[in-house]
Amino acid sequence: MSEMKGPIQVFGEALVEVGEKYSNLVAISADSSSGSGLTPFREKFPRRHLEFGIMEQGVIGFASGLATTGKIPFVVAIAPFVTSRPFEMFRNDLGYMRQNVKVVGRCAGISYSDLGPTHQSLEDIAIIRTIPGVTVLNPGDPVEIKRVVHAAAALNGPCYIKLGKEKMPVLYEDDYPFELGKGVLVRDGKEVTIIATGSVFPKAHAATELLVKDGVDVRLIDIHTLKPFDREIVIKAADQTGRIVTVEEHYLAGGLGSLVAETLARAKKSAAIEMIGIDDQFASNGPYEELLGLYGLLPDQIVKTVKDFLG
Amino acid sequence: MLTPQEENRLKQTAVQVRRNVLRQIKAGGKGHVGGALSIAEILTVLYFKIMRIDPENPRWDKRDRFVLSAGHKCLALYATLAERGFFDKTILDTYGSLGSKLPGHPDMNKLPGVESNTGALGHGLSIAGGMALGLKMDGLDSKVYVIMGDGELAEGSNWEAAAASSHHKLDNLLVFVDRNTLQISGRTVDVMSYEPLEQRWMSFGWGTRVIDGHDIGQIISAAEEFPFEKGKPSVVIANTVKSKGISFAEDRVEFHYWRAKKEEIEKAEEELLEVERRLEA
Repeated sequence: MSEMKGPIQVFGEALVEVGEKYSNLVAISADSSSGSGLTPFREKFPRRHLEFGIMEQGVIGFASGLATTGKIPFVVAIAPFVTSRPFEMFRNDLGYMRQNVKVVGRCAGISYSDLGPTHQSLEDIAIIRTIPGVTVLNPGDPVEIKRVVHAAAALNGPCYIKLGKEKMPVLYEDDYPFELGKGVLVRDGKEVTIIATGSVFPKAHAATELLVKDGVDVRLIDIHTLKPFDREIVIKAADQTGRIVTVEEHYLAGGLGSLVAETLARAKKSAAIEMIGIDDQFASNGPYEELLGLYGLLPDQIVKTVKDFLG
Repeated sequence: MLTPQEENRLKQTAVQVRRNVLRQIKAGGKGHVGGALSIAEILTVLYFKIMRIDPENPRWDKRDRFVLSAGHKCLALYATLAERGFFDKTILDTYGSLGSKLPGHPDMNKLPGVESNTGALGHGLSIAGGMALGLKMDGLDSKVYVIMGDGELAEGSNWEAAAASSHHKLDNLLVFVDRNTLQISGRTVDVMSYEPLEQRWMSFGWGTRVIDGHDIGQIISAAEEFPFEKGKPSVVIANTVKSKGISFAEDRVEFHYWRAKKEEIEKAEEELLEVERRLEA
């Protein structure tokens, strides 16, 4: 059994690490500082922790202005309130102005399962990836969260980092091969490729283990960077396995599945694609695992989908 | 103390800024002229008297900053930056052409001297607040100046920024509200009421002052005496006339966005030349 770690806690530790590395890095809270994992940063660097209260539009502009003076602002809040609510501020003040601001949407996807659709974020990747020049990151493992935070801090430009809420298993060693913009080939295989991203990468990982046990030769790819997208790894998977199953805690419209389909269409490649995610509906509410089950995102369900797909 | 000679010189510069606005309209045939002409004196005072800037080094880290929150007034910003030497005046003749460095709303990545990409209303004050906060954190004494429109004040995000600027005690931030009292649909207070405007800002924790926004002396006094209250951001409510300086367009809503006829431009040019001649005499 892998060790389990909470993504927000891991993010908070990583932020202290990059805070030590970059003296111009500031953390920006829109009221929910401790819930956003900022307590260790605030305790260590009290002057570099800036509180703005519940003003999720203006806070993006303030971050943009701070960045013009050489700061590296990390704005952290509940995902929909830093993506869909201030979308125009994200687009103009960060994207169009090309400002070095990192926006972190926490408790994303349906991880605020009991709080319902107002607090869930199933469109963040779809909308933010339309903004030119914004790097979109969605880590799927605690080690990967740290690597993503370090990479985002080192990158000069706007980033969006998507984080879940529930504890995740530690699947990677500290020295696993991480490169911004490149997918991770977790397991090679020839029969079918599972491509997963973010909070449900562990579910796809568990499903892969079950499928392999049943004799299915699965290739597993982890996509931590949705923009820029690793087209090469997807095209290669299509060429070599012919079948792709995408797994994401996001709407099917505009997310990972869309990206894979767009990539193959634009490269004039064909593959049979099955997409697992939430399809054109506001999600329900209830316990997280049960909610994932409503949308086919549990390991056993992924196994069944893959087997049905293979016929 | 402002000498009569200096006041005259600044008035002449403001006329030149207006002529530069007209030059762009002549090139592009149309544009947001009304709100550009109402801020000519404020921009002239800021760029030729108040702000610490170096046109040769537009990204100098100790410079004062200017954010045009009402980005559609950019013809006046381009006009002022050109007059101050940030770029060659011939660029003004490219307004309206494909890929011009002078889009209908300003782009900091295209033109030296532009500090932010405004135009979508209700963004500028937050961006300026972030600049002011960053400068303070670095112990720099640079100031941040902003021009907002009065119609723009209906955007709720402005009041987020107003509250946060006061909360973070940004006394290095000075806002001019260009109260020209007109927006696309008519009188601003009829479209969406904002009075009592001065009290509204005061209640958000700002130091306030009301001036005639075309009076060079009053603009200078306000800019030199800010912060109006220690530890507070400051706002000047500048009463202005939309399309100021072109008699047939003054205070007329039709000239918010002007599709200029040739004879109108000629008449406007004549009027500005006449004012210039008077000031020279």
